[in-house]
Amino acid sequence: MSDKPSDLVQGTLDMLILKTLALEPMHGYGIAVRLEQMSGGVFRLNAGSLFVAFQRLQRAGLIKGEWKATENSRRAKYYALTDQGRKRLNSETREWGRQVAAIARILEAS
Amino acid sequence: MSLLRNIAAGLVSLLQKKRVQGDLSEELSDFLERAAEEKMKKGMSRNEALRDVRLERGNFEATKEEVRSAGWESFVETCWQDLRFGTRMLRKSPGFTAVAALTLALGIGANTAIFSVVNAVLLRPLPYANPSQLVFVSEAKPEAGISGLGMSFPSFIELQDDNRVFGAIAGFGGHALVLTGSGDPSEVSTVVVTPGFFSVLAAEPLLGRVFVPEEGKRGSAPVVILSENLWRDRFGADPGIVGRSITLDMRPYTVIGVMPATFHTPFLSQSIQVWIPLAQDPLFSVWMTRPPQEHWMAVIARVRSGISSAQVHAELDAIGARLAGEFPAEKGWAIRTEPLQQTITGDVKLPLLLLLGAVGLVLLIACANIANLLLSRATSRSKEIAVRIALGAGKSRIARQLLTECGILGLLGGLIGMLVAYWGVATLAPLLPSGLPKVHSIRMDGWVLGFAFVLSLATSLVFGLAPVLSAAGSDPHKELGEGARAGESAGPRRARACLAVAEITLAMVLLTGAGLLMRSFAQLTSVNPGFQPKHVVKAMVSLPQFQYSTPKQWAAFSEELMTRLQAQPGMRDSAIAGPLPIVDCCVNLAFQIVGKPTLQPGTPETADYVPASPSYFSVMGIPLLRGRLFNDSDSDTSSPVALISEALAKRYFPNEDPLGKHLTFGFPANGVVSREIVGVVGDIHDVSLGKEPGPMLYVPYAQAPLYGGEVVVRSTLSTSAVVSAIRAVTHGIDKNLPVTDIAALPEVLYKSVAQPRFRTLLLGLFGAIALILAAVGIFGVISYSVSRRTHELGIRMALGAQPGSVMGMVLRETLALTLIGIAIGVPCAIVTARLIARLLFNVSPYDPFTLALVPLALVAVGALASYIPARRAMKVDPVVALRCE
Repeated sequence: MSDKPSDLVQGTLDMLILKTLALEPMHGYGIAVRLEQMSGGVFRLNAGSLFVAFQRLQRAGLIKGEWKATENSRRAKYYALTDQGRKRLNSETREWGRQVAAIARILEAS
Repeated sequence: MSLLRNIAAGLVSLLQKKRVQGDLSEELSDFLERAAEEKMKKGMSRNEALRDVRLERGNFEATKEEVRSAGWESFVETCWQDLRFGTRMLRKSPGFTAVAALTLALGIGANTAIFSVVNAVLLRPLPYANPSQLVFVSEAKPEAGISGLGMSFPSFIELQDDNRVFGAIAGFGGHALVLTGSGDPSEVSTVVVTPGFFSVLAAEPLLGRVFVPEEGKRGSAPVVILSENLWRDRFGADPGIVGRSITLDMRPYTVIGVMPATFHTPFLSQSIQVWIPLAQDPLFSVWMTRPPQEHWMAVIARVRSGISSAQVHAELDAIGARLAGEFPAEKGWAIRTEPLQQTITGDVKLPLLLLLGAVGLVLLIACANIANLLLSRATSRSKEIAVRIALGAGKSRIARQLLTECGILGLLGGLIGMLVAYWGVATLAPLLPSGLPKVHSIRMDGWVLGFAFVLSLATSLVFGLAPVLSAAGSDPHKELGEGARAGESAGPRRARACLAVAEITLAMVLLTGAGLLMRSFAQLTSVNPGFQPKHVVKAMVSLPQFQYSTPKQWAAFSEELMTRLQAQPGMRDSAIAGPLPIVDCCVNLAFQIVGKPTLQPGTPETADYVPASPSYFSVMGIPLLRGRLFNDSDSDTSSPVALISEALAKRYFPNEDPLGKHLTFGFPANGVVSREIVGVVGDIHDVSLGKEPGPMLYVPYAQAPLYGGEVVVRSTLSTSAVVSAIRAVTHGIDKNLPVTDIAALPEVLYKSVAQPRFRTLLLGLFGAIALILAAVGIFGVISYSVSRRTHELGIRMALGAQPGSVMGMVLRETLALTLIGIAIGVPCAIVTARLIARLLFNVSPYDPFTLALVPLALVAVGALASYIPARRAMKVDPVVALRCE
């Protein structure tokens, strides 16, 4: 599979980022690594698409960023889900499940 | 909610750009560090790790750009950048900017000025409530090809009382009464109306009230409504005017109201000073009791809301049929309506749209010129653009930047253009022919300014398109490659040639239109009016009808006036007559030939009717063709006689001698009588120079006098000397008589063609501008092509080409462009000519003279425009040409 995020189904990157943040707040690199691990290395994300997605989700009020000091006295921005983001994740997960099931039924039928 | 957040976040990153950018950098470098640390744990060196991460995750500078441009604020930001950059580029070449902006300013200014006229006259709705409900009602006789005539009073009354489609209906006629008792005696323009007039127009008075139905009946007390202007000028804006009495035609009228100055009636040819009920008018009230034969009364009505025009037609057809059954004279007549707006603007619509179209073409030619200039600039800027593309600017980004530049240019031109238009409207307004309706409402309002703004943007798109497309097509490899010459690729050169061809085509269309109008105007002004206006002065003397109430008094007055006037030095050639040709045409009367059936059974023949004193024909220079003129023995006691015009003789007495035959006709006040034809006189243009002479009937003034008339004097004295003599003599008889409407006949003739003169002048002006612009365009294309081909021309010369043949080559190029332009232009010009055929007088839209002359002029101008570049080409020095670059 290609490593370009544009090959993701439109809008799925946002959902995956929300999913990653469901457990705990995380910084940008952490999100990238977690996504790659969880997908078993199928997705390799380019920084550009990730950070554009962060800006978009922040502006939509689904995640919020917070600066924290790191162990080696630098600053890192940690992203966390907002309540709205959690709701959106739930609804999108349900919707995704429904669509996948529907597509699977169609594919099996033929 | 999230929209607000989005806007807020965008604003923050716009306003606190540094902090937001710093945060993003810090976040990204954190990302980079963490990724690199991971790799270093696997044993890579730090540099290796950093390089690896960049390869995997993309260029971090590009990432910043990507994040930055993802928000809406980046669009605002780049627009701002483009604006600043564009302004800088325009400032860097002030000559180009000035030429382009001024060309545009003239084009947009002229368009805006003409549009302000079109807007006021054609587009703005009539100044009444629900103007779309207003209709003009007229009578037509389809089988005789007659339409647009007024109604007779009895027919009007039936229509008013029986219809179910009109909410209000009113009839009216124009007239003039003499106002005495407040300042000098003077004529006031009057409309006689039926009482519903103001309620049809839903007009409210400034003071007092409007007419009530009882005031429309004969025998009711005389009342009058004044205009605000008359009230201010003659009555000092007296707040107690309502209830006071004023004297019109020596008879007291009680003022019941004042109409505000904002109440205009553009369907009447002049601004009105007083309104009186029809029943109170000394002239028209006579017609109230007559059977329906004269179609004299103009009628307006307001259609009830919810009534369709089909319902109106059905109702009017039914009423028309009933009237035809009731009155024999109404047989064959039908009642028609048209929207009042159309009645008002019908005559001027085509000329105005023609002017708007012409000025639009001028703007298009100006656009083509600017596009040409921009294309030359784009070629010299091709390196700059190539560098920017090579550095990663997207083509759409470049296109946007160039379009922004054009937009700035367009708006700059538009801004100056609005000043030009403002000045243009101020200059144009007094030049407008006085017959143009709604002239007073011409101004620069929001619509006009909006038009100018949209026009500026639209033109910048039009002239920006070619350079933007050519820039977007540029290839950085070619432009920046080794040995790239600053030469043009085929694309832009073809675009420039196309623009030049388009300019010639447009100029051809415009010049053909202008040429045809000029030819037509020359024809119109060289028409022989049938009389000799030179040295003839006219003035109107009106008799108040309540003092001079009988035809006997009128005849006595006119005889006295003539005797005294002719006794004055230099005034021997004086006469008095009814309506004068072209001046105040016409009284069209029905007549019957005694002992001969009418040509069309049931319908009387008609001719224009003029009572004239014996010397009228010598004063006016109308020749006697057969028989005799009137003389002093033709009085009201002698047998009734008449003179006819040649046209009447030819049409109704084709193979016989009209002398001695009898005609029956008459003007109401004098009754219908049988008159013997004693002579035939030459034809005159009674209605206008543009209308063929129709049949005329002349009767001796003494046998059919009027309450006053037009005094005409042929004299070598100055106009003012003649007028003061007329005034002195008139006031010597009665000091209360107004002498008005003074004019020299040549001046009247000159004014009668004001509208065609105006449009011919403007179109000629536009044509000249188009020709100059097209010449500049050709000059630009050819001189550019010569300068780009210096190298090639040098080689040709080095190989032995003669200077003459080089010059011929350049001229051939011009000729080719011009001929293609003309070839496309001819059919376009013919289509245009057919559209304006209605405005042409005695000139065919396919006038071979114009259609041959315009292309010749264009070829000549093209040759002239390319002469300078061609000479430069001829003088190319092969050594210099080959050494450069």
